[in-house]
Amino acid sequence: MAETSSRTRSGRLTRWLVSGPPFVFLAVFFLLPALIMVVASVRYPGEFGALAPIFGDVPGEDRGLTLENYAVFFGDWIYAQIFVKSFGVAALTTLICLVMAYPVALLIARSPQQYRNVMVLLVILPFASNFLVRVYAWMIILGPLDLLFSRFAVIVGMVYVHLPFMILPLYTNLEKHDPALLDAAQDLGANAWRRFWRVTFPLSLPGIFSGSALVFIPVLGMFAIPEILGGKDDWLVGNLIKESFLGTRDWPFGSMLSLMLTIAVLAIAGVAAWLARRGAAHA
Amino acid sequence: MRRSPLLWISALAVYAFLYVPLAVVVVFSFNDSKLNAEWVGFTLDWYRKLFQNEEMLNAAVNSVFIALVAAALATVLGTMAGIAIHRYRSKFLPALTLTPIAMPEILLGVSLLIFFIAVFGEESLSLATVIIAHTTFCIGFVAIIVRSRLSGMDESIFEAARDLGATPWQTFRLVTLPLIAPGVLAGALMAFTLSIDDFVITFFTAGAGVPTLPLTIYTMIKVAVTPEVNAVSTLLMLLTLTLIVIAGKVAPDALRGPSS
Amino acid sequence: MTQSVFMRRTVEPGRRKVLAALAATLAAFGVAMTAGCGKTGSDSEGDGDKPAASSGGNELRLYNWNNYLAEETTKSFEAFCKCRLVQDYYSDNEEMLAKLAAGATGYDILVPTGNAVQTLISQGALRELDKARIKGFANLKSEFVGQWFDPDNQYSVPYAYSVTLLGYNAEKVQELGIPTDTWAAIFEPRYLEKLHGKVTVLDSQRELFAAALIYLGYSANEADEAKLKEARELILRAKPYWAAFNASSYIKELTIGNIWLAHGYSNDMFQAAADARNAKRPFAIGYATPKEGAVLAIDNMVLHRTGPRPDLAYLFINFMLDGENAAQLSNMIGSGNPNAAAMQFIEPQVKENPAVFPSPERMQKLQQLRDLPKKERRLLNRFWTEVKVR
Repeated sequence: MAETSSRTRSGRLTRWLVSGPPFVFLAVFFLLPALIMVVASVRYPGEFGALAPIFGDVPGEDRGLTLENYAVFFGDWIYAQIFVKSFGVAALTTLICLVMAYPVALLIARSPQQYRNVMVLLVILPFASNFLVRVYAWMIILGPLDLLFSRFAVIVGMVYVHLPFMILPLYTNLEKHDPALLDAAQDLGANAWRRFWRVTFPLSLPGIFSGSALVFIPVLGMFAIPEILGGKDDWLVGNLIKESFLGTRDWPFGSMLSLMLTIAVLAIAGVAAWLARRGAAHA
Repeated sequence: MRRSPLLWISALAVYAFLYVPLAVVVVFSFNDSKLNAEWVGFTLDWYRKLFQNEEMLNAAVNSVFIALVAAALATVLGTMAGIAIHRYRSKFLPALTLTPIAMPEILLGVSLLIFFIAVFGEESLSLATVIIAHTTFCIGFVAIIVRSRLSGMDESIFEAARDLGATPWQTFRLVTLPLIAPGVLAGALMAFTLSIDDFVITFFTAGAGVPTLPLTIYTMIKVAVTPEVNAVSTLLMLLTLTLIVIAGKVAPDALRGPSS
Repeated sequence: MTQSVFMRRTVEPGRRKVLAALAATLAAFGVAMTAGCGKTGSDSEGDGDKPAASSGGNELRLYNWNNYLAEETTKSFEAFCKCRLVQDYYSDNEEMLAKLAAGATGYDILVPTGNAVQTLISQGALRELDKARIKGFANLKSEFVGQWFDPDNQYSVPYAYSVTLLGYNAEKVQELGIPTDTWAAIFEPRYLEKLHGKVTVLDSQRELFAAALIYLGYSANEADEAKLKEARELILRAKPYWAAFNASSYIKELTIGNIWLAHGYSNDMFQAAADARNAKRPFAIGYATPKEGAVLAIDNMVLHRTGPRPDLAYLFINFMLDGENAAQLSNMIGSGNPNAAAMQFIEPQVKENPAVFPSPERMQKLQQLRDLPKKERRLLNRFWTEVKVR
């Protein structure tokens, strides 16, 4: 029905009117900036840092395009190292979030219907506080314990801020499980652990993958948590990007890093989607 | 058996983990001591100081204004996008709408910074740029909520309306809109909350003259932390809490988050 | 049509309730904020935090270093100009320049160091000064007028100066036998080991590299790649022993006693010492200029092109050129004073402090930072990134 209506003239007009504005808005304020960033990554910085004018030339020897930024990135191990460090932090955070989220999601999914909404709300409420407040809370707690400005503090902060993002998708998935499956397993003699590992866990894989993606990807780009809770050795990719734009004023370099990060994120998202499809097929 | 004691204990431990830090912030906002170290006595001083802190109040007004405008814009555009995605099954629009929220925020912030400075010049960062930035990442959320609301609906209603001779606009106004209204409202509330709380994107797209609440809190945390931060945090928590509760009442399924 | 009526009937009541709740929430928030605004209009109950603005909207926007203007001075200025002084802070010239490049506009006055003035002038970011509107220029000491970055003072008026040096916890460094008159204290592992990681260095690429270069015997403005690499290696060798790169809160850390040795600005150390005395800490904070040399920073008031109130800006400049007001910069902040008329108002112990007012011989050994050419700047950026990341 939708198809036929869009073939009529007024149907087509409606289609343009409805999908047009958001499309145009996002094309201008999302796609275009992304493209400009790609261009920026192959240019020289301006005379005083930042960006050389996009149109028009810069006087002096730095004109035109250059792959210098990429050469630096691939030429020195430390940039890859910082990506690896960020991936590591993201992976650890995701793992911890998973371990902590599972009991909560399981509990909510198995609770009587009338309590579930409240329990979900209780998970979301901390999310109602501002992100910085949640980080600040850990400054207060870890400071006296002398654990502040350490990798530990960064992980704690990351886990704390992203935990709801793991709980909710996991719960959404778990709630759909058919209890009959577990009954059947029990009848067949499986103990609680086996029931969990052979029935519940595999069925929950799609939820695990979406939750993991919702944690892993944002953590990759975080800079505020390492900056506030971390020490001098806890710089992640986000910090490097922020420093390029607001510290060393080397915007082309920052653009190049952002592009690298984008590619990394797209790769992860691709893997997650593929795994989710496989996981669903498995179950 | 399904909900063994082990499950209860571990789940409650996680709930505690979620709440204890916030409780600390709230409790110390009433503490009569400059250091967030130990309880000295009860006081409302920090709240009083907060309401006299002009910078903070200015930032709060900015935050609310930005959130209102951005939420309104995002709701309108996001609803349109949600309807378009559901009805026209295009491949491109969903990708365009959802990618901004799938990416780490820093990427959006940084690309908009470059965009505004390169295209509009060095002095362009202002209230408008922040509003645009916020709208960009809120559209996706509204679209998801509206679209999921639509997908649970019986298509025959729309057919019936068309068969009865309604124009598309009439169908929208009298049938679609009332049906998706809770979703639209939930989306609007979600957008408002996200905008008020946003830090990273605002950090890059606000010029010097546009302090928002999160930006001010950030500066306070980095330079001179006083319990005023606790006070403003508590108040912010109350506000967004209220809004989320309302959103929960309006569209309970909307808050489950993307189901993959 | 009956369908929509049906929908309207069932959806409306719930929706109305929700909208009412939403309106009530936002109204409550709005009332709370305007109530707060009301309070600031009238004089607060003895809470001297921020003096009320008697003329709404009359603001001077100042972008200044952390802790570079005393509260008392701010208040007297506000009384003098019947306006509000709104300050934003930075702790490094690079930070200020980066923020300006990233779109921070609307500041009337900035207080950049000489090399940053040089950059801003080349960018065309500053207003030319109308000398006729400046009173008290003659108060300035001749050696600070007509500096290399602005030979005719077309754009800048000297404000204060400071030396980047080492501040320390006197008891601890004596106990541990750490020499405080040399940069070796923060670069040599044999000293750093004893300090157990209670050391911070400035989070500033120019300042830290300058300290390293000076320690190695080179110029602070060295642009030779090999020498910069040497400096980088020196820094990287010492980095594991440092607690943090810190440009703003090291004063507090020294005063509390969390940090025993800090690389920082002389005026900050002055304040740390005063704070420690006032808080009756069991130790004293000392500070000394290393014998190898150090960076001298002459900070200047400049008018930014996008500042909305140049008239108030001139008022501020004239206010700070007055001897008594300028003296507060030394007495309360501990910064060196380029104002000759201020000297009579400065307390003796501050005047005699060699870190605040270095002797002419010492001044010879101090170097000012100059802006590097673009290629060298990028090189230094790269090295700084490596320092931060390795």
